[in-house]
Amino acid sequence: MQATDSRNNPVVQLGDGLRNIFAKTGALPFLLVILVVVFQLANSRFLGRQNMVDMLHEGVFLALASLGQMFILVSGGFDLSIGSNIALTSISSASVMAAVYGAHPGAAGLAIAAGAATAVVVGLVVGLVNGVGVAVLGVNPFIVTLATASAFQGITLLISQGQEVGGLPNAFIMGVGSGSWLGLPIAGWVTLPLVLGLYVLLAWSRYGRYIFAIGSNAAAARVAGVRVGLQVLATYVICAVATAIAGFLLTARVSAGEPLLGAEYTLQSITAAVIGGASLRGGQGSIGGTLLGVVFVIFLADGMDLMRLGSNHEMIALGLALIFAVVADRQRAKAVAAGYQKRLISQSDPATEG
Amino acid sequence: MDAVAGHLDERGAPIISLVEITKRFEGVVALDGVSLDVAAGEVVVVLGENGAGKSTLVNVMIGALQPNEGTIYVRGQRVSHQDPAAARRQGVNAVLQDFSLAPSLSVADNLFLGREPMRLFIRDRARARRDGREAMQMLGVNIDVDTPVLFLSRAEQQMVEIVKALCGRPGALILDEPTATLTGEETRRLFEIVTRLKSEGWGVLYITHRMEEVQRLGDRVVVLRDGRHISTYRVANVSEARLIQDMVGRPLSALYPAKVSATTNAPPVLRVDNLTSKDRKIRGVSLEVRPGEIVGIAGLVRSGCSEVARACFGLIELDQGFIEIAGRRVEKPDPRKMLHLGLVYLPQDRRGEALALSRTIEENVSLEALGERRYSPFGLVNHAAVHEAVGAITERLDVRPRNIHQPVVSLSGGNQQKVVLGRALTRPRSVYVFDEPTAGVDVGARQAIYHHMHEICKAGAGILFSSSDLEEIVHLSSRVYVMHEGRIQTELHGDEINEEAVVSYSFGRDSANRGMLRASN
Repeated sequence: MQATDSRNNPVVQLGDGLRNIFAKTGALPFLLVILVVVFQLANSRFLGRQNMVDMLHEGVFLALASLGQMFILVSGGFDLSIGSNIALTSISSASVMAAVYGAHPGAAGLAIAAGAATAVVVGLVVGLVNGVGVAVLGVNPFIVTLATASAFQGITLLISQGQEVGGLPNAFIMGVGSGSWLGLPIAGWVTLPLVLGLYVLLAWSRYGRYIFAIGSNAAAARVAGVRVGLQVLATYVICAVATAIAGFLLTARVSAGEPLLGAEYTLQSITAAVIGGASLRGGQGSIGGTLLGVVFVIFLADGMDLMRLGSNHEMIALGLALIFAVVADRQRAKAVAAGYQKRLISQSDPATEG
Repeated sequence: MDAVAGHLDERGAPIISLVEITKRFEGVVALDGVSLDVAAGEVVVVLGENGAGKSTLVNVMIGALQPNEGTIYVRGQRVSHQDPAAARRQGVNAVLQDFSLAPSLSVADNLFLGREPMRLFIRDRARARRDGREAMQMLGVNIDVDTPVLFLSRAEQQMVEIVKALCGRPGALILDEPTATLTGEETRRLFEIVTRLKSEGWGVLYITHRMEEVQRLGDRVVVLRDGRHISTYRVANVSEARLIQDMVGRPLSALYPAKVSATTNAPPVLRVDNLTSKDRKIRGVSLEVRPGEIVGIAGLVRSGCSEVARACFGLIELDQGFIEIAGRRVEKPDPRKMLHLGLVYLPQDRRGEALALSRTIEENVSLEALGERRYSPFGLVNHAAVHEAVGAITERLDVRPRNIHQPVVSLSGGNQQKVVLGRALTRPRSVYVFDEPTAGVDVGARQAIYHHMHEICKAGAGILFSSSDLEEIVHLSSRVYVMHEGRIQTELHGDEINEEAVVSYSFGRDSANRGMLRASN
């Protein structure tokens, strides 16, 4: 009786509908709409073609780092060494590229390939170090990655003596850094197959199912015969390699190896992943959500730029956004629980009784 | 009040009475006009399956939820907009299933949390400890009040919760499924305390779905189903069959299936030889399970029953001994290896060790079989094959809800346990090791689980299960190993399996005296 009343009430229906969207996707769609409206009103160039291309250019680096971060969040950990990883990759790959290019000034392609290989190797090493700390030694990921963040940054500064590494092939800077093909930046073409690969891994592979289970309950995964340590290790390696590739692409964008590159990416990647539906409690996250989270972070930074608010303001806004994302995540968990509780009760409804 | 007063005649004044309480959640009725009262000096048992409204009832009584309709009287005074603190001040105390203890604080600090004895402006720790120790002693509980709560067992923590509840104003005590995680000895102690409180004039509301507890404790029994009050009986005047029928709403054929026995002379599917764990919780345990039989392990808490099950699966580090599955010897078991050899373990702690709660039914059921090539060729999940296989299993086990894409967190305890069982059924095995197969599971699901254990045996596999539910041990097992202090005290066969024998051996009766005792009988 009461139940049918509320079902027919349009206001209740609208509220329920909004809550269902919220439960499914989190606060993100609502926030994006608000951001776009505010920034567009503040500066009509915001949705202009040129600005969209600029934002896409910025977005690919963050997308790679955030997707890696999201994998780790899904498995129940997190990675604070993303920024240091980017700096280390930048310096290492730039040094190798400059050396190869210096020795064979004609072979720009060889130099770029050597630089890319260096980036991947750095990613593998960083990932293995983090992964061994978490999965084999069993240390809390917060401590492990905080510690390695410091160590990698130190190594970066040792190698570079705090100096930029220049002398990179022009093809690298102009091609990879700011070139584009069919309207999509080269960095985007590099990122696209990686994103697809990560999507297949997360949504279609056995490994993907395993890390969701591990993040939700590692002890249960172990009892079900999952090699928890191995999968977690793999997750740190995947994140670090994706981040290192972002670092390599970013080096092309800034046209030199920089020892302090990418520091902001640690926080931004966590923000993007969490606001995109990954849970700090593990076991939740998606590629699409994370990419939307990246869009959010990029919109926020870019929109504030257009409003002539400096990077200091951006940092404040980003910090607030992360806290908001975490609170919203908890609210969403509640909304989901409420939805299921409701269904659970209606299933045990005495309607079937004879 | 008249309606309540009507059937009060022979009892004391009610401490708390609920009259026509209705509680709705978002248009769904969780409690539908339920009336109930608890008088001083009586134990009222509330029986009901999961989802019958028991927890809602408790939450309304302690003021954690406000009813939509109906009235609550405490000591004859009408109360409205109750909150838990006010309820406690009026003498309505509760020990819920989820404890409210601060793990890192000591027992004494927990007992007086929020109402610390003060001396000027400083906490009077000496007095808190003294009072705490006194309260513990009065109930015959032997727990050091300086121990941080996190070092206590679950049973001990529950005792602390009870003592904490009893430190308040005397009146009513609500116990919500207190024995769900306790074993024999602890349960007995709890019953003693309840009996004693009753004699001291407390009114106890005891929520359970264990039938035998009704007889042992209750004066009256109230049955709830689907949020409705179904019946109230004096315990002395009602049969178990009647109560079960009221609980499930239909007559229930015998809960336990007929006993199975081993296929004769077949070699054991599982043999455990002289197993000793590093932590010495089990010492020199040897046992075997033959195809087609259900073997029980019984014993008091910390006797090591559960640990034997865990050790077989490689969840406890071994010091000595080995395990043999179908003739293959394993000295360092680990879950992966044991699963590969055909032994599957179903943990006691569903939420802790069995289920990825936030993930779907499908993912949970398929988690272990996913490694097989037909479910994930080349590492990529074949969603159609997984969906079909999981669908068939959940259908067979009658898991509700039917939608296998719902997260298991939204399932009732019984259905969650079916999901755990479903995972074990995804491929054929030779040995199933159950650790407390029906803890926190309602009657209907319990019957289904027994039925499937039976089916497993008929298919030729062997089952080893540890249980603190004596009735279950006695009615299900074709053989029973009784454990005492980490060792196997005796092995019982056929007619020897009865509650008395199991209890006395689990208290350490020597099996050498067996003949003598029997002779003197």
